[in-house]
Amino acid sequence: MRTAAICVIIVVAMLSLFTACSRKQAGPSAAKNVEKKLVVAVMPKLKGIDYFNAVERGAKEAAQELGNVELTYDGPIEGKVDLQIPFIESWTLQKVDVIAVACNDPDAIAPALKRAREKGVRVITYDADANAEKSGREFFVNQATFEDIGRALVDEMAAQAGEDAKVAIVSSSPTAPNQNAWIAVMKRYMAERYPKMQIVTIQYPEEDQGRAFSMTQDILKTYPDVKGIFGISSVAFPGAADAVRQAGKSGKIAVVGLSTPKSMREFVKDGTVKTVILWNPVDLGYLTVYVAKAVLDGTLQRGATEFEAGRLGKVKVQGDQVLLGAPMKFTAENIDQYDF
Amino acid sequence: MTSKQSPPLRLTIWRQYGREMSVGVFLLLLLGYFGSTPGFLRAENLRDILINAAPLVIAACGMTMVIVAGMIDISAGSALAVCAVVAGITAKAGAPLPLMLLLPMLTGAAIGAVNGWLVAWLRVPAIIVTLGMMSVLRGGIIWWTRGEWIGNLPPSFSAIGRGEVVGVPTPVVIALGVVLFVALLLARTPFGRHIYAVGGNPVAAARMGISVRRVLWLVFMLHGMLLGLSAVVYASRFSVIQSNAGIGFELLAISAVVVGGVNIFGGQGTVWGSALGALLLQVIGTGLIFRRVSEYWAPSVQGALVLLAVVTDALRTRRAGQ
Amino acid sequence: MRRLVKRREAVLVVLLVAEMAAMQWLSPLFLTAENLIEVVRQSAEIGLIALAMTLVIITAGIDLSVGSIVGLSIMVMGMLWADAGLPLFLAALLALLTGTILGGFNGILITLVGIPPLIVTLATMAGFRGIALGMSQARSIRNFPEQFLQLGQGYVLGIPVQVWILAIAALLFHVALTRTGWGRSVFSVGANEAAARLSGVPVSWVKLQVYMLSGFMSALAAVIYAAHVSVAKPDAGLGFELTAITAVVLGGTAISGGEGGVLGSLVALLMVGFLRSGLTLARVPSEAQDMMVGLLLIVVVAIDRWSRWVETR
Repeated sequence: MRTAAICVIIVVAMLSLFTACSRKQAGPSAAKNVEKKLVVAVMPKLKGIDYFNAVERGAKEAAQELGNVELTYDGPIEGKVDLQIPFIESWTLQKVDVIAVACNDPDAIAPALKRAREKGVRVITYDADANAEKSGREFFVNQATFEDIGRALVDEMAAQAGEDAKVAIVSSSPTAPNQNAWIAVMKRYMAERYPKMQIVTIQYPEEDQGRAFSMTQDILKTYPDVKGIFGISSVAFPGAADAVRQAGKSGKIAVVGLSTPKSMREFVKDGTVKTVILWNPVDLGYLTVYVAKAVLDGTLQRGATEFEAGRLGKVKVQGDQVLLGAPMKFTAENIDQYDF
Repeated sequence: MTSKQSPPLRLTIWRQYGREMSVGVFLLLLLGYFGSTPGFLRAENLRDILINAAPLVIAACGMTMVIVAGMIDISAGSALAVCAVVAGITAKAGAPLPLMLLLPMLTGAAIGAVNGWLVAWLRVPAIIVTLGMMSVLRGGIIWWTRGEWIGNLPPSFSAIGRGEVVGVPTPVVIALGVVLFVALLLARTPFGRHIYAVGGNPVAAARMGISVRRVLWLVFMLHGMLLGLSAVVYASRFSVIQSNAGIGFELLAISAVVVGGVNIFGGQGTVWGSALGALLLQVIGTGLIFRRVSEYWAPSVQGALVLLAVVTDALRTRRAGQ
Repeated sequence: MRRLVKRREAVLVVLLVAEMAAMQWLSPLFLTAENLIEVVRQSAEIGLIALAMTLVIITAGIDLSVGSIVGLSIMVMGMLWADAGLPLFLAALLALLTGTILGGFNGILITLVGIPPLIVTLATMAGFRGIALGMSQARSIRNFPEQFLQLGQGYVLGIPVQVWILAIAALLFHVALTRTGWGRSVFSVGANEAAARLSGVPVSWVKLQVYMLSGFMSALAAVIYAAHVSVAKPDAGLGFELTAITAVVLGGTAISGGEGGVLGSLVALLMVGFLRSGLTLARVPSEAQDMMVGLLLIVVVAIDRWSRWVETR
């Protein structure tokens, strides 16, 4: 029993010490909401990549501006949907006011969101949607539609590599919903608009830049007549650009993709990449929190066609989607203006 | 040896280096198979394969020592991430080259020292220590970096991964040096012999006067140090250091070592086999893309080939009548 | 030997209670029936796997491929139902069969060819996952019938369905392990394989059964998981093996084999689940949670080792 006592004391002491140290998120105690602050819980697909770090910054900015919003930003460190579900359940229990989540899978997360709705928690999604009817989520803050993004990518490639170019796609995970949706749009659009453009291969380096790099290297060697590479994740794009640059093919092979200006800046500056397509993830996070608050106080309801979001001004609302806007293009001219 | 005549030389070599030789043969077969696709056997591609394999080769050398000593380390990938981040921070702070190499290696050694202490003195089984450490390090690095990646690395840092030494790519030179170092350590020093002894039969080793604890602790520390070096070589090739780098790396390293014929029960195996194993994995990865194998089937082919290598080795050992 | 194990389980329960008290102190929302039930439900699938993993580890083996067996079985079920048009019930049964066969594959390589379990299951972990990916072309199967989803999302008498399944399975495993001859032979294989063989225990057969059981339970977890998240994707089950092994080891089963119990594994699994739940409620970020789980594992095992060492002096 002496052993048990020691065990207990050590473990409890450890836990308390750690919790005291990590109390960054807490702010006013969760259970005792004296001032009536609206608790908004925002969850990324995963923590630990530039893109969502930028989303967090925007969310914090909006919470600060709005004043009466208490922001909780948390999520798993791996992009797996079953790691997201415990957060939803925990927040439901804590009766937060709104949950805003970027879903790793639209169906898997739906039951947990539905339960949250049943307990009176409002639910919106951003970046990656959940199944609308199964989850009962009210709005989806979309950065740009899948159509817009897919087309922008293909148009850009056609402009840089030619309409009959042989291209390769470097994606992320073979089961990633956003990437797969973009690829579907790209294939369809290519068949319509640029029938001579050909996809020679699609590779999946997961979220590992090293693999994106070596896969691109191998693509360049396996398909020597490839004219363009699509890097359609914030990890694949810099990896692919790096490989093209180190192979000495900057400017000869077009590299088009989606990533943050921060990751791509040096490639844009040296000409390996001409345009970076994205939207502003800081703005996305910002908008999401504004939408969250508006859903709570009734400012935003179904049927609206516009929504006023702080410094973003008026954004379009299409049915149950709030649109951040058209995809942004970062080029050598404007890339320095952005620090995300 | 009870026979009057000593066995022919080639039989002795086969007995001693049979594993490594079979891996080598396997590698050559694969090269031949993939080589039938145009471009694979070009110097440029082979060079890339060697460079890409370098970090794995370095890590596999350390892992060889760990496995020969009868232990295991599944926290290697997380340790890689930590050391890579340290390397990035050091580089960005404008440190000179020696420091850029030294600090990550010291970090790795420190992690190894903790692992080693838990295993050697507290007698916690290695798989548990490293399983726990994996979570601690992975969570820790995200906590520390707040998930931020490290970009804008100075050219002096990138020179390590992308430079050359008398025409040979730096990573390859470093990897070769490490393999030689560990091979010599294991084969020709008392310490090396102690590692084999501890791995083969710790009780007997202790009775022979070997400080088992100290050997294990040093093995983990050396392994950690090599992980740090591997992290520098790995990270200096890219323009950005991810805080979630190295996921799955430990399993690759263990696969390389196992495919290379190192006995998981400890006490046998050489670092040459592990290096060949690491090369083999790299060749498979690249070769499958060259062969235009469906991207969906590529991972299973890789897994199947590892299984094949392991099974043939096991059968071969059985036939030789362990 | 038995007294040591009993003592370990008592320590675990004390730790569990202490932990729950600490969690409650951190956040008063912790000790609500709603929360506790949900936490247990989250752990149910891995709990099923941990039951079989306990047996595997008792035989001094290990099975790293359980997560991949989940992925492959779930796709087998999904594709047989969605593409081949089989009734879902039949597809699920075939998935269970698949899991058993996959486990058997592991077992044969371990017993007949003689490759160490760590290596075999390391390779099959990659291999099975790869087959799941290749076979399914990374598609996901959705829109399962509502009735099926009840398996993973429904309640019976207020308790989630999969928790009932876990409880029944746990009982069966516990009885089989502690009260049957077969259970005794599992222990003896782990304690001293050579001695077990000499005393007539069919060592290879027992091992084979244990790995087949591991495959079966993984497939069962896969079916329930599909009902739980209403999707079948080839990356299902990623990481399950490490959580299961953590639970088994934390629960008192020695990695060197020969001792342990399923109840300990389940208590340990709950301990980790409650820890995470309480910490999430207390707004501790998930990376800090991961660190704590890792530390918990090391500390508990270290203390246990130290206490045994003290005892032998």
